[in-house]
Amino acid sequence: MSSVDLRVAQRRGLFALAGRETRRVLSLWTQTILPPALTAVLFLAVFGGALGRRIETLEGLPYPTFILPGLLVMTVASQAFANASTSLFQAKSEGYVDDLLSSPLHGWQIAVGYLAGSLVRSFAAAAIVAAVAAPFASVGYQPALALVALFLTGLIFSALGVITGMWAETFDQHSFIASIVITPLALVGGVFYSARTLDEPWSTLTRADPLYYLVDATRAGLTGFHESAVWISLIVAAVVAAATSAAAAGLLARGWRIKP
Amino acid sequence: MLEGALDAMTELDKKTALRVDRLTKVYADGTHALDGLELRIGTGSFFGLLGPNGAGKTTLIGCATGLVRAPPGRVFVFGHDAATDARARLLTGVATQDVHLDRFLTTREVLTYHGRYFGMTRRAAGERADELLEDFDLTPKAATKPNRLSGGMRRRLLIARALMHRPRLAILDEPTAGVDLELRHELWRYLRKLHGEEGLTVLLTTHYIEEAEALCERVAFIRAGRIVDEGAPNELVERHGGERLEDAYLEAMQT
Repeated sequence: MSSVDLRVAQRRGLFALAGRETRRVLSLWTQTILPPALTAVLFLAVFGGALGRRIETLEGLPYPTFILPGLLVMTVASQAFANASTSLFQAKSEGYVDDLLSSPLHGWQIAVGYLAGSLVRSFAAAAIVAAVAAPFASVGYQPALALVALFLTGLIFSALGVITGMWAETFDQHSFIASIVITPLALVGGVFYSARTLDEPWSTLTRADPLYYLVDATRAGLTGFHESAVWISLIVAAVVAAATSAAAAGLLARGWRIKP
Repeated sequence: MLEGALDAMTELDKKTALRVDRLTKVYADGTHALDGLELRIGTGSFFGLLGPNGAGKTTLIGCATGLVRAPPGRVFVFGHDAATDARARLLTGVATQDVHLDRFLTTREVLTYHGRYFGMTRRAAGERADELLEDFDLTPKAATKPNRLSGGMRRRLLIARALMHRPRLAILDEPTAGVDLELRHELWRYLRKLHGEEGLTVLLTTHYIEEAEALCERVAFIRAGRIVDEGAPNELVERHGGERLEDAYLEAMQT
Protein backbone atom coordinates (compact mmCIF):
# COMPACT_ATOMS: atom_id res chain seq x y z
CA MET A 1 0.00 0.00 0.00
CA SER A 2 1.26 3.43 -0.79
CA SER A 3 1.42 5.96 2.01
CA VAL A 4 -1.38 7.91 0.28
CA ASP A 5 -3.66 4.88 0.49
CA LEU A 6 -2.88 4.52 4.17
CA ARG A 7 -3.71 8.16 4.77
CA VAL A 8 -7.01 7.76 2.93
CA ALA A 9 -7.82 4.75 5.11
CA GLN A 10 -6.92 6.67 8.26
CA ARG A 11 -8.96 9.70 7.19
CA ARG A 12 -12.00 7.51 6.58
CA GLY A 13 -11.43 5.87 9.96
CA LEU A 14 -11.24 9.25 11.68
CA PHE A 15 -14.52 10.38 10.10
CA ALA A 16 -16.14 7.10 11.10
CA LEU A 17 -15.04 7.52 14.72
CA ALA A 18 -16.20 11.14 14.82
CA GLY A 19 -19.51 9.97 13.35
CA ARG A 20 -19.80 7.19 15.92
CA GLU A 21 -19.21 9.64 18.76
CA THR A 22 -21.75 12.11 17.36
CA ARG A 23 -24.26 9.31 16.88
CA ARG A 24 -23.79 8.24 20.51
CA VAL A 25 -24.45 11.80 21.70
CA LEU A 26 -27.59 12.19 19.60
CA SER A 27 -28.98 8.74 20.36
CA LEU A 28 -28.62 9.42 24.10
CA TRP A 29 -29.97 12.98 23.87
CA THR A 30 -32.09 12.61 27.00
CA GLN A 31 -28.87 11.97 28.94
CA THR A 32 -26.38 14.02 26.96
CA ILE A 33 -28.14 17.17 25.77
CA LEU A 34 -31.39 17.67 27.66
CA PRO A 35 -30.16 17.60 31.32
CA PRO A 36 -27.36 20.18 30.93
CA ALA A 37 -29.67 22.44 28.94
CA LEU A 38 -32.32 22.08 31.65
CA THR A 39 -29.78 22.83 34.40
CA ALA A 40 -28.61 25.99 32.66
CA VAL A 41 -32.18 27.09 32.06
CA LEU A 42 -32.93 26.60 35.78
CA PHE A 43 -29.87 28.70 36.68
CA LEU A 44 -31.18 31.33 34.32
CA ALA A 45 -34.67 31.18 35.81
CA VAL A 46 -33.50 31.31 39.45
CA PHE A 47 -30.63 33.80 39.15
CA GLY A 48 -31.88 35.76 36.20
CA GLY A 49 -35.60 35.64 36.90
CA ALA A 50 -36.12 35.35 40.67
CA LEU A 51 -32.95 37.09 41.94
CA GLY A 52 -32.66 39.25 38.86
CA ARG A 53 -35.55 41.39 40.09
CA ARG A 54 -33.49 42.36 43.15
CA ILE A 55 -30.16 42.73 41.35
CA GLU A 56 -31.53 44.24 38.12
CA THR A 57 -28.16 45.23 36.65
CA LEU A 58 -24.54 44.21 37.16
CA GLU A 59 -21.73 46.17 35.54
CA GLY A 60 -24.40 48.06 33.64
CA LEU A 61 -25.91 44.92 32.14
CA PRO A 62 -29.31 43.36 32.93
CA TYR A 63 -28.55 40.41 35.20
CA PRO A 64 -29.85 37.69 32.80
CA THR A 65 -27.67 39.20 30.09
CA PHE A 66 -24.68 39.28 32.46
CA ILE A 67 -24.93 35.59 33.44
CA LEU A 68 -25.82 34.10 30.04
CA PRO A 69 -22.22 34.04 28.65
CA GLY A 70 -21.01 32.31 31.81
CA LEU A 71 -23.80 29.77 31.63
CA LEU A 72 -22.82 28.97 28.06
CA VAL A 73 -19.17 28.49 29.08
CA MET A 74 -20.21 26.38 32.06
CA THR A 75 -22.43 24.22 29.85
CA VAL A 76 -19.78 23.76 27.18
CA ALA A 77 -17.01 22.99 29.71
CA SER A 78 -19.00 20.50 31.78
CA GLN A 79 -20.54 18.71 28.80
CA ALA A 80 -17.34 18.52 26.77
CA PHE A 81 -15.58 17.02 29.76
CA ALA A 82 -18.43 14.64 30.62
CA ASN A 83 -18.74 13.35 27.07
CA ALA A 84 -15.09 12.64 26.37
CA SER A 85 -14.38 11.16 29.78
CA THR A 86 -17.51 8.98 29.88
CA SER A 87 -17.28 7.70 26.32
CA LEU A 88 -13.62 6.75 26.56
CA PHE A 89 -14.00 5.36 30.07
CA GLN A 90 -16.88 3.13 28.88
CA ALA A 91 -14.90 1.96 25.85
CA LYS A 92 -11.94 1.15 28.09
CA SER A 93 -13.80 -0.49 30.97
CA GLU A 94 -16.03 -2.55 28.65
CA GLY A 95 -13.07 -3.46 26.44
CA TYR A 96 -14.44 -2.38 23.06
CA VAL A 97 -11.72 0.26 22.76
CA ASP A 98 -9.73 -2.71 21.37
CA ASP A 99 -11.49 -2.19 18.07
CA LEU A 100 -9.89 1.25 17.79
CA LEU A 101 -6.53 0.29 19.25
CA SER A 102 -6.11 -2.49 16.69
CA SER A 103 -7.12 -0.17 13.82
CA PRO A 104 -4.69 1.79 11.62
CA LEU A 105 -5.73 5.05 13.32
CA HIS A 106 -2.99 7.08 15.00
CA GLY A 107 -3.42 8.07 18.64
CA TRP A 108 -4.05 11.68 17.66
CA GLN A 109 -6.78 10.59 15.26
CA ILE A 110 -8.54 8.65 18.00
CA ALA A 111 -8.25 11.73 20.22
CA VAL A 112 -9.74 13.94 17.48
CA GLY A 113 -12.67 11.53 17.09
CA TYR A 114 -13.50 11.82 20.79
CA LEU A 115 -13.02 15.59 20.76
CA ALA A 116 -15.44 15.90 17.83
CA GLY A 117 -18.24 14.06 19.64
CA SER A 118 -17.66 16.12 22.76
CA LEU A 119 -17.81 19.40 20.85
CA VAL A 120 -21.08 18.34 19.21
CA ARG A 121 -22.62 17.53 22.59
CA SER A 122 -21.41 20.67 24.32
CA PHE A 123 -22.45 23.00 21.49
CA ALA A 124 -25.85 21.33 21.10
CA ALA A 125 -26.56 21.85 24.80
CA ALA A 126 -25.25 25.44 24.65
CA ALA A 127 -27.42 26.15 21.60
CA ILE A 128 -30.53 25.11 23.53
CA VAL A 129 -29.54 27.33 26.47
CA ALA A 130 -28.96 30.27 24.12
CA ALA A 131 -32.29 29.69 22.37
CA VAL A 132 -34.22 29.55 25.65
CA ALA A 133 -32.41 32.61 27.03
CA ALA A 134 -32.84 34.69 23.89
CA PRO A 135 -36.11 36.37 24.95
CA PHE A 136 -34.64 37.40 28.35
CA ALA A 137 -31.10 38.41 27.46
CA SER A 138 -29.90 40.97 24.97
CA VAL A 139 -26.63 39.75 23.46
CA GLY A 140 -24.75 39.90 20.16
CA TYR A 141 -21.89 42.39 20.41
CA GLN A 142 -19.19 40.27 18.65
CA PRO A 143 -20.62 36.75 18.34
CA ALA A 144 -17.53 35.44 16.52
CA LEU A 145 -15.36 36.29 19.52
CA ALA A 146 -17.77 34.45 21.81
CA LEU A 147 -17.77 31.44 19.48
CA VAL A 148 -13.97 31.30 19.51
CA ALA A 149 -13.95 31.44 23.32
CA LEU A 150 -16.60 28.71 23.52
CA PHE A 151 -14.73 26.56 20.99
CA LEU A 152 -11.52 26.84 23.00
CA THR A 153 -13.47 26.00 26.16
CA GLY A 154 -14.84 22.90 24.46
CA LEU A 155 -11.44 21.85 23.20
CA ILE A 156 -9.70 22.26 26.55
CA PHE A 157 -12.33 20.39 28.51
CA SER A 158 -12.77 17.65 25.88
CA ALA A 159 -9.04 17.01 26.01
CA LEU A 160 -9.12 16.94 29.81
CA GLY A 161 -12.02 14.51 29.50
CA VAL A 162 -10.02 12.21 27.21
CA ILE A 163 -7.14 12.23 29.70
CA THR A 164 -9.53 11.52 32.58
CA GLY A 165 -11.19 8.72 30.62
CA MET A 166 -7.80 7.09 30.16
CA TRP A 167 -6.72 7.68 33.75
CA ALA A 168 -9.85 6.49 35.57
CA GLU A 169 -9.87 2.84 36.57
CA THR A 170 -13.29 2.98 38.24
CA PHE A 171 -16.46 4.97 37.75
CA ASP A 172 -15.84 6.59 41.16
CA GLN A 173 -12.50 7.96 39.99
CA HIS A 174 -14.14 9.23 36.84
CA SER A 175 -16.91 11.00 38.80
CA PHE A 176 -14.40 12.32 41.36
CA ILE A 177 -12.67 14.53 38.80
CA ALA A 178 -15.98 15.95 37.59
CA SER A 179 -17.10 16.71 41.16
CA ILE A 180 -13.80 17.95 42.60
CA VAL A 181 -12.35 19.81 39.64
CA ILE A 182 -14.88 20.67 36.96
CA THR A 183 -17.88 21.77 39.07
CA PRO A 184 -15.87 24.07 41.42
CA LEU A 185 -14.04 25.59 38.44
CA ALA A 186 -17.37 26.33 36.83
CA LEU A 187 -18.93 27.82 39.97
CA VAL A 188 -16.05 30.16 40.94
CA GLY A 189 -15.33 31.22 37.37
CA GLY A 190 -17.27 34.47 37.48
CA VAL A 191 -20.42 33.10 35.87
CA PHE A 192 -22.76 34.80 38.32
CA TYR A 193 -20.72 37.79 39.44
CA SER A 194 -18.05 40.23 38.44
CA ALA A 195 -14.63 39.53 40.03
CA ARG A 196 -13.95 43.16 40.80
CA THR A 197 -17.10 43.46 42.92
CA LEU A 198 -15.85 40.75 45.29
CA ASP A 199 -13.81 41.15 48.49
CA GLU A 200 -10.56 39.29 49.00
CA PRO A 201 -9.79 36.40 48.87
CA TRP A 202 -12.74 35.71 46.55
CA SER A 203 -11.63 38.17 43.90
CA THR A 204 -8.16 36.59 43.69
CA LEU A 205 -9.66 33.10 43.81
CA THR A 206 -11.90 33.93 40.87
CA ARG A 207 -9.02 35.40 38.88
CA ALA A 208 -6.97 32.25 39.57
CA ASP A 209 -9.66 30.14 37.91
CA PRO A 210 -8.74 29.57 34.24
CA LEU A 211 -12.42 29.34 33.36
CA TYR A 212 -12.88 32.96 34.48
CA TYR A 213 -10.91 34.20 31.45
CA LEU A 214 -13.02 32.13 29.06
CA VAL A 215 -16.19 33.45 30.69
CA ASP A 216 -14.80 36.97 30.44
CA ALA A 217 -13.90 36.55 26.75
CA THR A 218 -17.33 35.09 25.95
CA ARG A 219 -18.98 37.91 27.86
CA ALA A 220 -16.90 40.40 25.88
CA GLY A 221 -18.09 38.80 22.66
CA LEU A 222 -21.76 38.73 23.62
CA THR A 223 -22.12 41.97 25.59
CA GLY A 224 -18.99 44.06 25.09
CA PHE A 225 -18.23 44.03 28.84
CA HIS A 226 -14.99 42.46 30.08
CA GLU A 227 -12.65 42.77 33.06
CA SER A 228 -9.41 41.36 31.65
CA ALA A 229 -7.48 41.70 28.39
CA VAL A 230 -9.59 39.58 26.04
CA TRP A 231 -6.96 38.86 23.42
CA ILE A 232 -4.44 37.76 26.03
CA SER A 233 -7.12 35.50 27.50
CA LEU A 234 -7.80 33.97 24.10
CA ILE A 235 -4.13 33.48 23.28
CA VAL A 236 -3.49 31.80 26.63
CA ALA A 237 -6.63 29.68 26.14
CA ALA A 238 -5.43 28.67 22.66
CA VAL A 239 -2.05 27.64 24.08
CA VAL A 240 -3.75 25.65 26.85
CA ALA A 241 -6.10 24.03 24.30
CA ALA A 242 -3.14 23.04 22.12
CA ALA A 243 -1.24 21.69 25.13
CA THR A 244 -4.14 19.65 26.54
CA SER A 245 -5.07 18.30 23.08
CA ALA A 246 -1.44 17.34 22.40
CA ALA A 247 -1.23 15.67 25.81
CA ALA A 248 -4.44 13.71 25.14
CA ALA A 249 -3.19 12.62 21.69
CA GLY A 250 0.27 11.73 23.01
CA LEU A 251 -1.08 9.70 25.90
CA LEU A 252 -3.47 7.84 23.59
CA ALA A 253 -0.61 7.09 21.19
CA ARG A 254 1.40 5.66 24.08
CA GLY A 255 -1.58 3.65 25.27
CA TRP A 256 -1.29 5.22 28.72
CA ARG A 257 -3.47 3.20 31.12
CA ILE A 258 -5.42 1.64 28.26
CA LYS A 259 -2.80 -0.82 27.01
CA PRO A 260 -1.13 -3.20 29.44
CA MET B 1 -6.37 -0.98 -1.13
CA LEU B 2 -5.20 -4.29 0.23
CA GLU B 3 -3.57 -5.21 -3.08
CA GLY B 4 -1.61 -1.99 -2.80
CA ALA B 5 -0.37 -3.02 0.63
CA LEU B 6 0.80 -6.34 -0.74
CA ASP B 7 2.49 -4.67 -3.72
CA ALA B 8 4.71 -2.69 -1.37
CA MET B 9 6.21 -5.89 0.08
CA THR B 10 9.40 -7.63 -0.86
CA GLU B 11 9.25 -11.29 -1.93
CA LEU B 12 10.54 -12.30 1.51
CA ASP B 13 7.86 -10.24 3.23
CA LYS B 14 5.19 -11.91 1.10
CA LYS B 15 6.35 -15.34 2.22
CA THR B 16 6.26 -14.52 5.92
CA ALA B 17 2.92 -13.40 7.33
CA LEU B 18 4.17 -12.98 10.88
CA ARG B 19 7.75 -12.70 12.10
CA VAL B 20 8.51 -12.31 15.78
CA ASP B 21 12.08 -11.50 16.81
CA ARG B 22 13.27 -11.81 20.42
CA LEU B 23 10.06 -10.47 21.87
CA THR B 24 10.13 -9.91 25.62
CA LYS B 25 7.24 -8.52 27.61
CA VAL B 26 7.28 -7.79 31.31
CA TYR B 27 4.07 -6.27 32.68
CA ALA B 28 4.04 -3.50 35.28
CA ASP B 29 3.32 -6.02 38.05
CA GLY B 30 6.53 -7.88 37.18
CA THR B 31 4.89 -10.75 35.29
CA HIS B 32 7.22 -12.07 32.56
CA ALA B 33 4.72 -12.85 29.81
CA LEU B 34 7.15 -13.26 26.90
CA ASP B 35 10.80 -14.18 27.16
CA GLY B 36 12.74 -13.58 23.95
CA LEU B 37 10.08 -15.30 21.84
CA GLU B 38 10.94 -16.14 18.22
CA LEU B 39 8.35 -17.24 15.67
CA ARG B 40 7.80 -17.36 11.89
CA ILE B 41 4.44 -18.03 10.30
CA GLY B 42 4.47 -18.59 6.57
CA THR B 43 2.00 -16.85 4.31
CA GLY B 44 -1.08 -18.93 3.63
CA SER B 45 -0.54 -21.32 6.50
CA PHE B 46 -3.03 -22.35 9.14
CA PHE B 47 -0.98 -22.08 12.29
CA GLY B 48 -1.90 -23.21 15.78
CA LEU B 49 -0.44 -21.90 19.01
CA LEU B 50 -0.94 -24.21 21.96
CA GLY B 51 0.00 -23.58 25.55
CA PRO B 52 -1.38 -23.45 29.06
CA ASN B 53 -3.03 -20.39 30.58
CA GLY B 54 -0.44 -17.68 31.22
CA ALA B 55 1.98 -19.07 28.63
CA GLY B 56 1.99 -15.78 26.69
CA LYS B 57 -0.39 -16.49 23.80
CA THR B 58 -2.65 -13.50 24.34
CA THR B 59 0.30 -11.19 25.03
CA LEU B 60 1.91 -12.24 21.77
CA ILE B 61 -1.34 -11.50 19.94
CA GLY B 62 -1.60 -8.15 21.71
CA CYS B 63 1.92 -7.23 20.57
CA ALA B 64 1.08 -8.16 16.96
CA THR B 65 -2.15 -6.17 16.89
CA GLY B 66 -1.41 -3.03 18.93
CA LEU B 67 -3.42 -4.07 21.97
CA VAL B 68 -0.34 -4.31 24.20
CA ARG B 69 2.31 -1.63 24.56
CA ALA B 70 5.24 -2.42 22.29
CA PRO B 71 7.89 -4.24 24.31
CA PRO B 72 11.56 -4.93 23.47
CA GLY B 73 11.85 -7.12 20.39
CA ARG B 74 10.01 -6.76 17.12
CA VAL B 75 6.95 -8.11 15.37
CA PHE B 76 6.51 -7.85 11.61
CA VAL B 77 3.28 -8.46 9.71
CA PHE B 78 4.10 -9.09 6.05
CA GLY B 79 7.28 -7.10 6.63
CA HIS B 80 5.58 -4.13 8.32
CA ASP B 81 6.65 -3.36 11.88
CA ALA B 82 3.53 -3.96 13.98
CA ALA B 83 4.56 -1.33 16.54
CA THR B 84 5.23 1.56 14.18
CA ASP B 85 3.71 0.88 10.76
CA ALA B 86 -0.07 1.23 10.53
CA ARG B 87 -0.07 -0.87 7.34
CA ALA B 88 0.47 -3.90 9.57
CA ARG B 89 -2.93 -3.19 11.16
CA LEU B 90 -4.67 -3.02 7.78
CA LEU B 91 -3.41 -6.49 6.96
CA THR B 92 -4.40 -8.03 10.29
CA GLY B 93 -7.78 -8.98 11.73
CA VAL B 94 -8.03 -10.01 15.35
CA ALA B 95 -10.74 -11.75 17.35
CA THR B 96 -9.78 -11.38 20.99
CA GLN B 97 -10.32 -14.04 23.61
CA ASP B 98 -12.82 -11.91 25.54
CA VAL B 99 -15.82 -10.71 23.59
CA HIS B 100 -15.97 -6.91 23.76
CA LEU B 101 -18.49 -5.26 21.46
CA ASP B 102 -19.66 -1.65 21.28
CA ARG B 103 -23.04 -1.66 23.00
CA PHE B 104 -24.12 1.62 21.43
CA LEU B 105 -24.15 0.04 17.98
CA THR B 106 -26.33 -2.62 16.37
CA THR B 107 -24.89 -5.92 15.20
CA ARG B 108 -24.63 -4.63 11.62
CA GLU B 109 -23.11 -1.35 12.77
CA VAL B 110 -20.45 -3.17 14.79
CA LEU B 111 -19.28 -4.52 11.44
CA THR B 112 -19.75 -1.38 9.34
CA TYR B 113 -18.00 0.92 11.81
CA HIS B 114 -15.13 -1.53 12.11
CA GLY B 115 -14.80 -1.61 8.35
CA ARG B 116 -14.77 2.18 8.21
CA TYR B 117 -12.17 2.42 11.01
CA PHE B 118 -10.06 0.28 8.69
CA GLY B 119 -10.59 2.58 5.72
CA MET B 120 -13.56 1.04 3.90
CA THR B 121 -16.08 3.37 2.29
CA ARG B 122 -19.54 3.47 3.83
CA ARG B 123 -20.98 1.56 0.87
CA ALA B 124 -18.28 -1.10 0.74
CA ALA B 125 -18.58 -1.59 4.50
CA GLY B 126 -22.34 -2.03 4.21
CA GLU B 127 -22.06 -4.63 1.45
CA ARG B 128 -19.32 -6.56 3.26
CA ALA B 129 -21.29 -6.45 6.53
CA ASP B 130 -24.36 -7.92 4.85
CA GLU B 131 -22.21 -10.67 3.34
CA LEU B 132 -20.70 -11.56 6.72
CA LEU B 133 -24.03 -11.40 8.54
CA GLU B 134 -25.28 -13.96 6.04
CA ASP B 135 -22.18 -16.16 6.34
CA PHE B 136 -22.33 -16.13 10.13
CA ASP B 137 -26.11 -16.58 10.26
CA LEU B 138 -26.64 -13.24 11.95
CA THR B 139 -28.85 -11.50 9.36
CA PRO B 140 -32.02 -11.75 11.51
CA LYS B 141 -30.10 -10.01 14.31
CA ALA B 142 -28.67 -7.21 12.16
CA ALA B 143 -30.60 -4.50 14.02
CA THR B 144 -30.08 -6.01 17.49
CA LYS B 145 -27.63 -4.56 19.99
CA PRO B 146 -24.77 -6.95 20.85
CA ASN B 147 -25.75 -7.19 24.52
CA ARG B 148 -29.05 -8.76 23.39
CA LEU B 149 -27.29 -11.57 21.51
CA SER B 150 -26.55 -15.03 22.88
CA GLY B 151 -22.97 -15.92 23.79
CA GLY B 152 -22.53 -17.94 20.59
CA MET B 153 -23.87 -15.11 18.44
CA ARG B 154 -21.57 -12.61 20.11
CA ARG B 155 -18.62 -14.91 19.45
CA ARG B 156 -19.63 -15.22 15.79
CA LEU B 157 -19.99 -11.47 15.51
CA LEU B 158 -16.52 -10.98 16.96
CA ILE B 159 -15.00 -13.32 14.37
CA ALA B 160 -17.01 -11.68 11.57
CA ARG B 161 -15.66 -8.30 12.74
CA ALA B 162 -12.10 -9.60 12.55
CA LEU B 163 -12.69 -10.60 8.92
CA MET B 164 -14.65 -7.47 7.99
CA HIS B 165 -11.84 -5.50 6.32
CA ARG B 166 -10.58 -8.58 4.43
CA PRO B 167 -7.30 -8.99 6.33
CA ARG B 168 -4.53 -11.22 4.98
CA LEU B 169 -3.71 -12.47 8.47
CA ALA B 170 -6.51 -13.49 10.84
CA ILE B 171 -5.53 -13.89 14.47
CA LEU B 172 -8.12 -15.80 16.44
CA ASP B 173 -7.55 -16.08 20.18
CA GLU B 174 -9.53 -19.08 21.43
CA PRO B 175 -12.39 -18.41 19.00
CA THR B 176 -14.35 -21.49 20.00
CA ALA B 177 -14.05 -21.14 23.79
CA GLY B 178 -17.48 -21.68 25.30
CA VAL B 179 -19.03 -22.42 21.92
CA ASP B 180 -21.26 -25.47 21.39
CA LEU B 181 -20.06 -28.36 19.25
CA GLU B 182 -22.31 -27.59 16.30
CA LEU B 183 -21.18 -23.99 16.05
CA ARG B 184 -17.57 -25.00 16.55
CA HIS B 185 -17.74 -27.29 13.52
CA GLU B 186 -19.53 -24.57 11.58
CA LEU B 187 -16.69 -22.15 12.36
CA TRP B 188 -14.12 -24.77 11.38
CA ARG B 189 -15.81 -25.17 8.01
CA TYR B 190 -15.87 -21.43 7.46
CA LEU B 191 -12.24 -20.94 8.45
CA ARG B 192 -11.15 -23.81 6.21
CA LYS B 193 -13.04 -22.21 3.34
CA LEU B 194 -11.41 -18.81 3.89
CA HIS B 195 -8.01 -20.39 4.24
CA GLY B 196 -8.40 -22.63 1.21
CA GLU B 197 -10.23 -20.37 -1.21
CA GLU B 198 -8.93 -16.94 -0.27
CA GLY B 199 -5.45 -17.85 0.93
CA LEU B 200 -6.03 -16.31 4.35
CA THR B 201 -3.22 -16.91 6.83
CA VAL B 202 -4.66 -17.95 10.17
CA LEU B 203 -3.05 -17.88 13.60
CA LEU B 204 -5.26 -19.76 16.01
CA THR B 205 -4.82 -20.24 19.73
CA THR B 206 -6.89 -22.89 21.40
CA HIS B 207 -7.06 -25.18 24.39
CA TYR B 208 -8.82 -27.81 22.27
CA ILE B 209 -5.99 -29.97 20.94
CA GLU B 210 -8.38 -31.75 18.56
CA GLU B 211 -9.20 -28.36 17.05
CA ALA B 212 -5.55 -27.68 16.30
CA GLU B 213 -5.21 -31.22 14.94
CA ALA B 214 -8.23 -30.77 12.69
CA LEU B 215 -7.33 -27.35 11.32
CA CYS B 216 -3.67 -26.52 11.63
CA GLU B 217 -0.92 -27.35 9.18
CA ARG B 218 1.69 -26.25 11.66
CA VAL B 219 1.58 -25.96 15.42
CA ALA B 220 3.81 -24.31 18.01
CA PHE B 221 3.90 -25.17 21.70
CA ILE B 222 4.40 -22.15 23.95
CA ARG B 223 5.35 -22.23 27.60
CA ALA B 224 6.51 -19.45 29.95
CA GLY B 225 6.79 -16.97 27.10
CA ARG B 226 8.95 -19.11 24.81
CA ILE B 227 8.27 -21.42 21.90
CA VAL B 228 9.11 -24.92 23.13
CA ASP B 229 8.72 -26.63 19.77
CA GLU B 230 7.14 -26.08 16.40
CA GLY B 231 6.27 -28.19 13.38
CA ALA B 232 3.56 -30.08 11.54
CA PRO B 233 1.35 -32.06 13.93
CA ASN B 234 2.76 -35.40 12.73
CA GLU B 235 6.34 -34.11 13.14
CA LEU B 236 5.61 -33.06 16.70
CA VAL B 237 4.11 -36.46 17.47
CA GLU B 238 7.22 -38.14 16.03
CA ARG B 239 9.57 -35.97 18.05
CA HIS B 240 7.77 -36.17 21.38
CA GLY B 241 6.25 -39.63 21.18
CA GLY B 242 2.70 -40.81 21.74
CA GLU B 243 -0.01 -41.38 19.24
CA ARG B 244 -1.68 -38.03 18.96
CA LEU B 245 -0.86 -34.35 19.17
CA GLU B 246 -2.26 -34.28 22.71
CA ASP B 247 0.43 -36.78 23.83
CA ALA B 248 3.14 -34.75 22.14
CA TYR B 249 1.84 -31.56 23.76
CA LEU B 250 1.78 -33.04 27.24
CA GLU B 251 5.26 -34.48 26.77
CA ALA B 252 6.64 -31.17 25.46
CA MET B 253 5.16 -29.24 28.35
CA GLN B 254 6.83 -31.52 30.89
CA THR B 255 10.33 -31.41 29.45
